[in-house]
Amino acid sequence: MQTEVIDSIKFGILNPEDAKKLSVVKLTVPDTYNEDGYPIEGGLLDQRMGVIDPGLLCKTCGARAKSCPGHFGRIELVRPVLHSEFSKVVYMILQSTCRNCHRLLLSDEHIEEYKGALTKLEEVVVDVETDAIEDKVEMGSLPMLKRLKNMKKCERCGTPKGKLKFSAPTYFYVDDYKLKPDEIRDLLAKISIEDLQVLGIDSVASRPEWLILSVLLVPPVNVRPSITLESGERSEDDLTHKLVDIMRINLRLEQNLNAGAPQIIIDDLWELLQYHVTTYFNNETASIPPARHRSGRALKTLAQRLKGKEGRFRYNLSGKRVNYSARTVISVDPNINLDEVGVPFEIATKLTVPFYVTTWNLDKAKELLARAEYPMVMNVIARDGKRKRVIDLNREELIKELQPGDIMERQLMDGDITLFNRQPSLHRVSIMSHKAKVLKGRTFRMNYCVTPPYNADFDGDEMNLHVPQNLEAQSEAAYLMSPQYQIFSPRDGDAIITNNEDGITGMYLMTKEDNYLTKEQAVYILSIAKVYELPKPTKDGLYRGRDIFSAMLPKGLNFEGKSAKSPFVIKDGKLIEGVVTKETFGRGDNKLLVKIGKDYGYDVLKDFIFQTAKVADAYVTLMGVTVGVKEYTTSKKLEVERVRLLEETFGKIEELITQYKTRKLEPLIGYTLRQSLERMIIAELNLVRDKAGETLLKYETSEDNAAVEMTRSGSRGSVLNIEQMTMFLGQQATLSGGRIKRGYYTNRVLPHIVPGDVRPGARGFVATSYYSGLAPTDLFMHAVGSRSSEVYKALLTARSGYLYRRLSNALQDYCVDSDYSVRDTNNNLIQTVYGGDRVNPIFVQFQKLEAHEKS
Amino acid sequence: MAKEDKNDRYLVDYGEPVGIIAAQSVGEPGTQMILRSFHLAGIESTISTSGLPRIIELVDAKKKPSTPITYIYLDEKIGKDFDKAAETLKKINEVRMNNIAKRVLENFSKGKIKVILDRQELESEGVTIRQVASKIDKALDLESKVEDNGVVVNMHTRNLKEIRAATINMMKMLVSGVEGAGKGTIRRDESTGEFYLVSAGSNIEGIMQVDGVDRTRTTTNDVFAIYRLFGIEAARNSLALELKKTLKEQKISVDERHLNLIADAMTASGTIKGVGRHGLSGEKHSVFARAAYEETLKHLIHAAAFGEVDPMRGVTENILVGKQIPIGTGSVKLVIKKGDMAKIKPQGGSK
Repeated sequence: MQTEVIDSIKFGILNPEDAKKLSVVKLTVPDTYNEDGYPIEGGLLDQRMGVIDPGLLCKTCGARAKSCPGHFGRIELVRPVLHSEFSKVVYMILQSTCRNCHRLLLSDEHIEEYKGALTKLEEVVVDVETDAIEDKVEMGSLPMLKRLKNMKKCERCGTPKGKLKFSAPTYFYVDDYKLKPDEIRDLLAKISIEDLQVLGIDSVASRPEWLILSVLLVPPVNVRPSITLESGERSEDDLTHKLVDIMRINLRLEQNLNAGAPQIIIDDLWELLQYHVTTYFNNETASIPPARHRSGRALKTLAQRLKGKEGRFRYNLSGKRVNYSARTVISVDPNINLDEVGVPFEIATKLTVPFYVTTWNLDKAKELLARAEYPMVMNVIARDGKRKRVIDLNREELIKELQPGDIMERQLMDGDITLFNRQPSLHRVSIMSHKAKVLKGRTFRMNYCVTPPYNADFDGDEMNLHVPQNLEAQSEAAYLMSPQYQIFSPRDGDAIITNNEDGITGMYLMTKEDNYLTKEQAVYILSIAKVYELPKPTKDGLYRGRDIFSAMLPKGLNFEGKSAKSPFVIKDGKLIEGVVTKETFGRGDNKLLVKIGKDYGYDVLKDFIFQTAKVADAYVTLMGVTVGVKEYTTSKKLEVERVRLLEETFGKIEELITQYKTRKLEPLIGYTLRQSLERMIIAELNLVRDKAGETLLKYETSEDNAAVEMTRSGSRGSVLNIEQMTMFLGQQATLSGGRIKRGYYTNRVLPHIVPGDVRPGARGFVATSYYSGLAPTDLFMHAVGSRSSEVYKALLTARSGYLYRRLSNALQDYCVDSDYSVRDTNNNLIQTVYGGDRVNPIFVQFQKLEAHEKS
Repeated sequence: MAKEDKNDRYLVDYGEPVGIIAAQSVGEPGTQMILRSFHLAGIESTISTSGLPRIIELVDAKKKPSTPITYIYLDEKIGKDFDKAAETLKKINEVRMNNIAKRVLENFSKGKIKVILDRQELESEGVTIRQVASKIDKALDLESKVEDNGVVVNMHTRNLKEIRAATINMMKMLVSGVEGAGKGTIRRDESTGEFYLVSAGSNIEGIMQVDGVDRTRTTTNDVFAIYRLFGIEAARNSLALELKKTLKEQKISVDERHLNLIADAMTASGTIKGVGRHGLSGEKHSVFARAAYEETLKHLIHAAAFGEVDPMRGVTENILVGKQIPIGTGSVKLVIKKGDMAKIKPQGGSK
């Protein structure tokens, strides 16, 4: 049970006195190891700060490297230095306070002006009887700080402020006199608690004089472990290097002070000490050169460890690494249900699931524990939390000791809940729960109908598998994350898990108007769907494809929708009219999947998708659907048509160009003549592309053309795809979206082109096809287009990735409250009722369907 | 709970992480926007920024859109009359001196500037030379005279700098139209046969003061202009509408509830705030959430110096420390009456 919970975390600054108490050793020797390779006492790897070598014992807590948490040491600086990161805060305070009376420059009544407004706000916050955290009122309000900054003298004692100059990172001047850190410390120390409060500083957590460092805390050795190279040479961490530098200068400064060296030398060393401390905290401090390693590489100091994508925050704290997970290549298996995943046997033997031993399952547990082969128990976690590995030697003993309350870790078995994920995890359906199905082979197997949410394909994609390790996680995974509950996307309520690819092609071919199956075929197909009842045959003893499809529909389903050309009608669980296409299942309102989901529930829907896909696959396999060169061989007629179309378009464009040259062209509103010509040409070229598509469909009417059939069914490929292969590629576009332009030294893309030529061919229109082969200039244009699109893609993925990161970061805390309002972490109201009507976007299609049915 | 309503199953439940879902709904298709806008380039004559750049611009709460556009509707009486519409357009069209000037002659020895105006341009913009001259007198406080084909300004000085400065100022001067209204065109709504104007500026405040403009329908894609003129509620609607329009253009269907939530979140404070580090994310309560997002050092340093408290109520900060996040099923807490804890006796099994 969780006994202590982090309620809140307060930030502050370490008091030098506290730092002394916190540290276990004062470091005095600016070195690491002595000649024997043993850590120097009082050196930077003093064993009182913890150990990193596995065999050694920590001299403070006596634990071994693994369990010793590490202990802080300290360096006592002989002269204080500024913490460069805080110098802006120091500047703000110095600017706001009087250097004579050490109070805020503003008189009490002027402070009241700001305070007054603020306390009022405080009352409001306290008044509201909510769970809200009392807003820590920002006393240091911006207008007040601005006023303080511009004040010339103290309102209390009348002392002029003098010219305060701050020169980044650590220098302060008053009327050209350089303030020493100890002088700044003295000034800061005299400021009262009340005045600090007005500035917004909580003086319990952070007294400003603590910002000037006199004691430097040295992190434990395990924070900056040294590495032993193969040669036996020791290589120290960057932080250790930096600390050595600090200590060395500190020692020299001390010696010089004791020897009574001239002030100039002292000041120089002091400044050098300041430099080393500054770079120790942040080696990317502006306006000072970064400290470098011997090799010339800039050192990675404290700030660099925290910052950025690979920093502690984003890499280690926001991103967690987990156990109980596996990763391998994925491949298809249409015989696996949507909510299952095929797990390789090898993985199943290594992943474990907790088995909670109770009084009621003790016998079963013992039986399982006794097993010496898969599925067997790998570990036993006794009630005291001790984990014991089960090996042949101790098995008998463990069985004897087994008691209710123990937890056994058994190997993954069929039916276990797992989480399946593919990166990038762009939306919540990128990770769903699947039931494990242990199989031979070395890849994860999945149904291809669940690939769209993961955006997966099988060209070598890898996916991750996680095993939830407690009952709460398992049940949440099973009841919230299972694919059948994710069929409809929360984005717009459309089905995102649906029949696709061959799952549509097969259904389309089978349900065609005049498609009949022999008895053998019908029996085979139906047996795939586990339907053991034949529909009524026709007079010739044949079976309609439509009836086979009907056999898979839920009993009593009534539905009216659209398919390719005709309406799609199902009455009492029988397909009466229409062909199954992508559109039947697909996106938008009034779709078959929405209807089934609404009337029969997700489990029926899931099985429906699974069965139809499986049957469709079987049908396609039985009948054979293949795409070859024959699909893309143009007929003579089409070739003639192609030439005619292009000639017509080129002629029109030629005419436009002559009109342009003779200034007879009527410009479009808002465009110059030149731009108008360009737009008109592009419009013509787009028109010819569309016309070519239409022509293609007009001439390629044969149902033997598998490519066209696939396009018709909507399962794969568009008219444009076929068009590009059989007729012409069309216009190649560039990054800016326009036609390809410029090139060598003149206004042309290739040396084969007359400079200034604006005709289609000269500007990236490819009139040849993949089938006919590209003309040399066309090939070049095509390469330009491809490269351009590649660059464009890379550019926009980066942009959209950043947009997503920003959006999710800004919105992640908003959730629906118990009164169905949307609130942020501070209970601020964002929406009074979610979406204005509380409707879950997942169900918008359901609602539309309901409205449709009622009318 | 009241009797179960059949419609209840279509409603969101307590704890639903609607923010994350909204972010995902807009973020995920962002990758799809890429290819689509690529293939469709050049078909429609769009003058405005669209697709991903537009979404980013809106969500960032940029003060000025990169392509401001105002849709100016006309009063019903003149809406179907092309000539009247053209007349109104002339009143709005931003015309500057350099748009109508053919040649500028600076005579430094006599201290005079002569601007020869383009008659054609003058005519098409509906401005007379006399008007130009009086405009120069009034707006720039200069002395000008109308000459046959232009205006002559007498500077009464031979100072080169002054004359050149006056010329530059004069060329920038607004001759007619509304400041910041941009150049417009007339379009016709095919369904109603009504004429309306589209102009490439966003000074709706100025445009709405022009006679013949229907103030109730005239609108712009400049969210801040709407905010300044109509207030935050209108800005919120405009923001949501622009997001909707942009996604629709890209043929990406996203439920409007998600877009409304984004618009609401951006405007809930009373001003428009972007989602980035200078907006919503940068003003979060949690120090950790801010530090884990961007500008890690800045936030940690500030928190330490001022003694800030992280209330640990958001998602990021709880993930950082390894606690359950207070969202979705994690938002459910077990509550027990104060005295009742004692009544519960531990029963066997695990601790």
